[in-house]
Amino acid sequence: MPEAKPLARRNLALLGFLLLLLVLWQAVWSLGLLPSYSLPSPAQVAVRLAELARDGTLWPSVQASVVRMVLGFVLSAALGLVLGLAMGLSALADSCLRSLFLGLQTLPSAAWVPIALLLFGLGDAAIYFVIVMSSMAAMAIATADGISHIPPHYLRAARSLGTSGVALSTRVALPAALPSIVTGIKLGWTLGWHGVVSAELIKSSIGLGYLLNAGRELNDAAQVVGIMLVTIFMGLLLDRVLFAWVERRIRVRWGFAPDTSRE
Amino acid sequence: MTTAAIAGSAAAPARITLSGVTKRFVTPRTSVNALGPISLDVAEGEFVVLVGPSGCGKTTLLNLVAGFETPTDGEVRVDGALVAGPGPDRAMIFQEPALFPWLNIEDNVAFGLRQHTHMSAAERRAVALEYLRLVHLEGFEHAFVHELSGGMKQRAALARALAPRPRALLCDEPFGSLDALTRERLYAELQELHAQTRRTTMFVTHNTREAACLADRVVVLTTRPATIASVVAVDLPRPRNFYDPHVSEQAGQILAQLRAEPTAAGGGLDA
Ligand SMILES: Nc1ncnc2c1ncn2[C@@H]1O[C@H](COP(=O)(O)OP(=O)(O)OP(=O)(O)O)[C@@H](O)[C@H]1O
Ligand SMILES: [Mg+2]
Repeated sequence: MPEAKPLARRNLALLGFLLLLLVLWQAVWSLGLLPSYSLPSPAQVAVRLAELARDGTLWPSVQASVVRMVLGFVLSAALGLVLGLAMGLSALADSCLRSLFLGLQTLPSAAWVPIALLLFGLGDAAIYFVIVMSSMAAMAIATADGISHIPPHYLRAARSLGTSGVALSTRVALPAALPSIVTGIKLGWTLGWHGVVSAELIKSSIGLGYLLNAGRELNDAAQVVGIMLVTIFMGLLLDRVLFAWVERRIRVRWGFAPDTSRE
Repeated sequence: MTTAAIAGSAAAPARITLSGVTKRFVTPRTSVNALGPISLDVAEGEFVVLVGPSGCGKTTLLNLVAGFETPTDGEVRVDGALVAGPGPDRAMIFQEPALFPWLNIEDNVAFGLRQHTHMSAAERRAVALEYLRLVHLEGFEHAFVHELSGGMKQRAALARALAPRPRALLCDEPFGSLDALTRERLYAELQELHAQTRRTTMFVTHNTREAACLADRVVVLTTRPATIASVVAVDLPRPRNFYDPHVSEQAGQILAQLRAEPTAAGGGLDA
C-alpha cells in the first residue's frame, strides 16, 4: 500500500494545522484583542459544551436537527433527481427549469424562512420546505448536467442493444451520470444543512439553530461558538464518512482511482 | 469451438438496402457533405467490407444503417422497412468500445439479453459467459471495464454485440487496436460464426488484407463525400487464412483500387 504513508502524513499535517488555529484563538483571547464577552476562550467553549451535554440539552437538539435534515434531504434528493432526469432528457424541460433553478439558487437559505413560516406555520413542515428549497435545485442541475454529458455512444450502444423508454433512463442514463449526481448530492447535503440550521435559528424550540439563537439571546458567547463547532462537525461527518465512501467506490469503478479495497 | 448457444438457430439475416443516400452535416459554422449519393444492396447473410480513406464517411454510413442518424436524401431500408431509429436487429460495434463503466464485463455482455424476456437471469449469465469464452475473455467476467486493455475491451464489445443474436452486424474498425495474433484468431472466429449464423455484416476497415480475408464483397469508397468507387467480389473459398497468398493477391487488388482514388478532398468520382 504505497498510498498509506502520504495519507498518514497528510492527516498529521491537518492535525497540526488545527492545533495552530487553536493556539491562535487562545492567543487572541489571552492578549485581550477582543472583549471577553464576545470571544470566549477554547477552554470556556469546551466547558460550556460539556455542560450542555451533561444537562441533556445538546444531544436532543443534535438529534432533532439530524432527523429533520435526513427527512428533508431524502425528499429533496428524490425531487431533484426526478426533475434533473427530466431536464437531462428533455431540452424543453431543461430550458424552462434551468433558469428557474439558477434563479432560486441565488437566494441564501435563510431567505426561505419567512415565506416558509407564512406558508406552513411553525411546524417542522416549514423546515422541510427550507431544506428542499435550499438544496433541490443544485441536485437537479447536477443530475441534468451529468445526463447531458453522457458520451453519446453509451446511449447509442444501449439503444441498438434493445433498450428504450424508461429502461434507457434507469439502466443507462442514471448510472452513466452517477459521478455527477454524487457530486450534486454532496453539494445538496451541505446546502440542506445550511437550510436546517437557518430555519431553526429563526423559529424552533429545539435543534442546533435554536441553541445558537438561545446562546445569542443569553449573551452566552461560549454556547454560540460551541454550537457552531458542533454544527460544522455534524455537517462534515456525513459528508466525509458516507459520501466520501460512495464517491470513492464510483471513482474506482470508473477507473479514476486505484482500487485499494480488493488487495 | 463454438457451442450450441452461439451457433443455434439465429433469426433470419437482414437485407440492407441504401438508395441514393446522402448525408450533410449542417452546424452553425459549417456544412459538410459527409456522404453520398450511395446506393448499395447488401443481401441476406452477405459479408460486405467497406474500405475508404480516413474521413470519407464510413462511420457516417454505418450510423445511417444503425439508425443513429437520418439521411439527408435517399432511404435506408432493412427488409424493405424504412429505418426509423436504432433497434436490436442491428448491432453496432463502435470504433471506440462503448462498454458501460458501471457494469462489470459479464453484465456488459449480458446487457442486450434483457430484450429476450423469456430468458432467466441464469440463462443470460450462461450465454454471456459463452460469448466471453468465444473472445477469450474467460476469467475477466467480474473485472471492471477500465481493468481491461484496449484490445480486450474491443473483444468484450464484440461479445456484447453478438450475444443477443442480431440479424445484422455493423462493425466500425473493431480490430484496429488488436495485435496480429489476436486479430488472426478473431478472423477465424468471425468467419466460423458467419458461416454458422449467416448474419448480414457490414464491416469497416482500413486494412485491405483484413477486407480480403473476411468479405464476400469489398466496397471501395472515394474520398469525402464517399461514393462507391468500385466493388471487388472476393470469391475465395472459406475459411480463409489471413496469410493465404490468394488473400494477399486480393488485398493487392483492393489496394490498387484505393490508390486509384484522387487524394484531394472534394473528388467525388462515381464508378
Ligand atoms: N456529427 C457530425 N457533425 C459534423 N460533421 C460530422 C459529424 N460526423 C461526421 N462528420 C464529418 O463527416 C465526415 C465523415 O466522417 P466519418 O466519421 O464518417 O469518417 P470515417 O470515414 O469514419 O473516417 P475514419 O476512417 O477516420 O474513422 C468528416 O468530414 C467529419 O468531419
Ligand atoms: Mg470512422
